[in-house]
Amino acid sequence: MLMLRPSMLASFVWLGCLTAAFSIAVLLWFLWDNAWLFFQQFGIQTLWLDEWYPYENLYGFLPAITGTAWALLIALLIAIPCGLAAAIVSSEIVSSTWQAWIRLSMEVLAGIPSVVYGLIGLWLLLPLLQSQLNLLTGHSLLAAGLILSLMILPTIMLMAQDALQGVAPEQREAAKLLGLNWNQQLLRILLPQAWPGIRSGILLAVGRGLGETMAVMLVVGSLDRMPQPFYNILEPAQTLTSRIGREMGEAAFGSLHFSALMACGLILAIVAVFFSFSAQKMRPST
Amino acid sequence: MKIILIMFAIPAILLPAACVLYIFYQAMPALNLSLIFGSDISVVGVNSIGQSILPQITGSLLLMALACFIALPIAFSIALFHAFWASQNHKKLLMTLLQMLQGIPPIVYGLCGLIVFVHTLQWGISLLTGSVILAIIILPLLSNSLIHAFARIPREQTDAALSLGLSKLNVIIRIWLPASWSNILTGLLLSMARALSETAPILFTATVFSGITWPDSIFSPVTSLQTHIFYLAQEGSNIQAIHTAWASAATLLLLVLCFSLMAGYLRRYDTT
Repeated sequence: MLMLRPSMLASFVWLGCLTAAFSIAVLLWFLWDNAWLFFQQFGIQTLWLDEWYPYENLYGFLPAITGTAWALLIALLIAIPCGLAAAIVSSEIVSSTWQAWIRLSMEVLAGIPSVVYGLIGLWLLLPLLQSQLNLLTGHSLLAAGLILSLMILPTIMLMAQDALQGVAPEQREAAKLLGLNWNQQLLRILLPQAWPGIRSGILLAVGRGLGETMAVMLVVGSLDRMPQPFYNILEPAQTLTSRIGREMGEAAFGSLHFSALMACGLILAIVAVFFSFSAQKMRPST
Repeated sequence: MKIILIMFAIPAILLPAACVLYIFYQAMPALNLSLIFGSDISVVGVNSIGQSILPQITGSLLLMALACFIALPIAFSIALFHAFWASQNHKKLLMTLLQMLQGIPPIVYGLCGLIVFVHTLQWGISLLTGSVILAIIILPLLSNSLIHAFARIPREQTDAALSLGLSKLNVIIRIWLPASWSNILTGLLLSMARALSETAPILFTATVFSGITWPDSIFSPVTSLQTHIFYLAQEGSNIQAIHTAWASAATLLLLVLCFSLMAGYLRRYDTT
């Protein structure tokens, strides 16, 4: 199978692969190098310091990390039940015509660009929150979580639906033969069987939610401060992505501030890769 | 149980339609022909935000097209490497790597691109920088779909062609491309939709707010629909700007849906 003399095709393939590998390696190396410079200077303990004032050389990551965690948690708390319920309803209860429509609408939802979600959040959600909860502006972790839940809903729902439909028909027939009613079928047969697929859908959604920038950046308020107390989700806060997005334009190239942003990027990349990697590892082998 | 499930599912089922309808409802005041053909091109300045978003549309499409133009040959070569040269272990490694690259958030690519292309290579904030970054972002998606497209061709066909003495190049041109064009097109359309909807990575690497109708060269910055929405959304006091933002959002949504729904249609057409 191996080519003995270099042909046009082989050289094209090698050139392409090497270009891809080289450019991606260069990008990741720059990321690693800059972040490494930063951590060398400030040490790993910046991860749990809670003050971020770039002009006074105070770089604490804790507020942004807490913000990211809260926004994701709120998003998951809303999106998992709704997405799962929608998947069950569309694959088990309604007719196949409806199922196709629901699937199409989920694909539409997945296709809406994140900056458009940001626009919706900024001009629909924030005024709502402001008037309903008596907030100052509405910019809050809650708003970020709500918008994020809308964005990760399609991922969870579509993966869960695929997993449910992947359950073997024999299993359903056997369950019916045993006389299980609908609830028992769902809880004892379908959900356990589909769980690996649902789980990897959730992990993928976590990875996507972590990296979402524009929508979160527009609604979260970008205030670098620990929520007071730490479960206060109604005040402006900061996430890792919104910090990069807000400060990327103003940080001078080569400065410590820029390296700190690269460190944010490195943390994000490592956590996101971890989640997408485990989503892949746990995916059922088909 | 069923009732509870349906109650939980109702928001998820109704929200997509509600979102799309709300966007178009808000866009109504500004959605008209002058949005595209109006001569009053957006200029810098707080109160003089004009009507036409034609430069933004062309900028977005240019970025997308150039990104696909760069990514497509590279993705093809990765897919061909996977099909012809890689051993089982290599294949596994390659798929894992692609999955990992897809997991990295786009903003991180944007940040790296800012350092490497804008500062180190001195390309500046330009069309080229933006499209190379977008190309890197869509590369995993595109190569994944090409790999799957080639993997779905029956093994026997390839073997038969090879045993007839066709070279690999001929196998690809005569057998693989005709057999898998719809899958390839699906992957390409999805990547185009993705490139069109990414905002964060090009915000500081490729685009300016306004003043560019048609970039002079690939080294000049462009305006894009995505970043236009972002800038206008924050013009809180200017009602005209908000209307234009919604109209731009509706236009962008239409463009993206055009690509992604076409991809969905092709996929269904292919499986039946």
